[in-house]
Amino acid sequence: MTTPSDDIIERWLEAVAAQLPPETRADITDELRELIVSRMEAREAELGRDLTPAEVEGVLKEIGHPLAVAARYRAGPDSLIGPELLPWWLYGVKAGLLVLLAIHALSLVVTLVSGPRDPGQAISQAFHGLFGSGLTLIGALTLAGAVMEHYRIRPKWMTEWRAKDLSLFGLSDPTTWGVKAREASKASTQGGVNIHPVRVRVGNSSPAGEAVFSILALGLFILWWLGLVSFPGLATFEIADQPVTVAGAPVWAALYAPILAFALVQMAIDLFTLINPTAERLRALLRAAVAAANLVLLWFIVQAGDLFVLTSAGQTATVAIDQAYLTLDWLRMLDERGRDLEGVALTLSILLTWSAAVMAVAFVGAILANLVRMIRGRAA
Amino acid sequence: MSADDELFESMRLELRRGSLVLAVLACLRTERYGYTLRQALAADGLEMEESTLYPLLRRLESQGLLLSEWREEEKRKKRFYVLSPLGASLLDRLTTEWRAIGGSLDRLL
Repeated sequence: MTTPSDDIIERWLEAVAAQLPPETRADITDELRELIVSRMEAREAELGRDLTPAEVEGVLKEIGHPLAVAARYRAGPDSLIGPELLPWWLYGVKAGLLVLLAIHALSLVVTLVSGPRDPGQAISQAFHGLFGSGLTLIGALTLAGAVMEHYRIRPKWMTEWRAKDLSLFGLSDPTTWGVKAREASKASTQGGVNIHPVRVRVGNSSPAGEAVFSILALGLFILWWLGLVSFPGLATFEIADQPVTVAGAPVWAALYAPILAFALVQMAIDLFTLINPTAERLRALLRAAVAAANLVLLWFIVQAGDLFVLTSAGQTATVAIDQAYLTLDWLRMLDERGRDLEGVALTLSILLTWSAAVMAVAFVGAILANLVRMIRGRAA
Repeated sequence: MSADDELFESMRLELRRGSLVLAVLACLRTERYGYTLRQALAADGLEMEESTLYPLLRRLESQGLLLSEWREEEKRKKRFYVLSPLGASLLDRLTTEWRAIGGSLDRLL
């Protein structure tokens, strides 16, 4: 016959057992039961009588809450993100939030400048977007940290770091942003007075630092591409008090999966750069391959021509890339374009066509430069 | 509890934490089950909560430092623990280390 005290003990043991892995459950609860009975017997010997249910409950409380007791038996880590990973997680959150803040601030400025929109509403939307994307970022980093903690993953870039790779860690302090560039500018104007002029290393920055920044930017892009974060001002804006919606042309639907895959591949290459900072030739080869793939992707987009459809008050206008815009006359005429829907679409078309041309040249340059570095054995 | 007391308590626990494994290993030169082990530790001035002691015993056993066996005693099944040969060897090394640390601290203090 079971007594009320037995019921209390069994309920406590069941609560502990529910938190334990099946293979050790019975063994641990048997041992805990033995412990409880031993303690009860000792107490009963002191008192010279059986314990009341309240006193049995007191014994269990001394042993601890079932969740806390079971947690001590867990083989894995005691915390979601342990002390070794915590500084990295904090840096990622801080730098990521600052990048998000910069993007949302820029987007807000564009929204406010592009039309006479209600500033209060625009600011409120920007805050809403920042809050949502910030929480997504923190959630994603926490998930990544928890997986690394659980499986004891410690990439080489955490343990085999080099002093030359640390410059980007200053990103988490926005007060230092641009300081180097200002100091360099000051040094160049002071002539020979400055004994130790600050030099800005253009094209010779830390590969690991670039990779971390690239991973953050690509991560944000992938989240946006998947529709998990949104930036106000990109999908709608206003022309002459009329809302304009921006819809992607069919080319984006056709290239949706390739672009996503390409972004993930780029991220993987950046991770490789972090893990193997000394594999310079291989990094140069991968970067040349990425630039070539970028060029192919750009070619497909240019071939498609139409990029976006702007719709406002029942009217539509297409933003398209067209080689015909690659003349100085079109650039000179930019100022003369009207502020109506057609005029804005044409202005965007000219700008995007020129941007595509500049990007194509840059990709070709990157391919050649990295091939040369690969041959010389040094990637930049 | 004042802030000073809290700080002292937290540092005291930190100081103690490292010595508990050594104490448990030393106490298990003689075979004991959990409850009597805890009593033996308490008798020597080292109170230890069950929620700390029992998981520690399992961890030490999984590391090969302890051997355990379920056996009936006083009409109840109990799990008895004793130091393994590997545990005995490690205890000797840890004891030497502990004495060296103690000696250094004694000189400093």
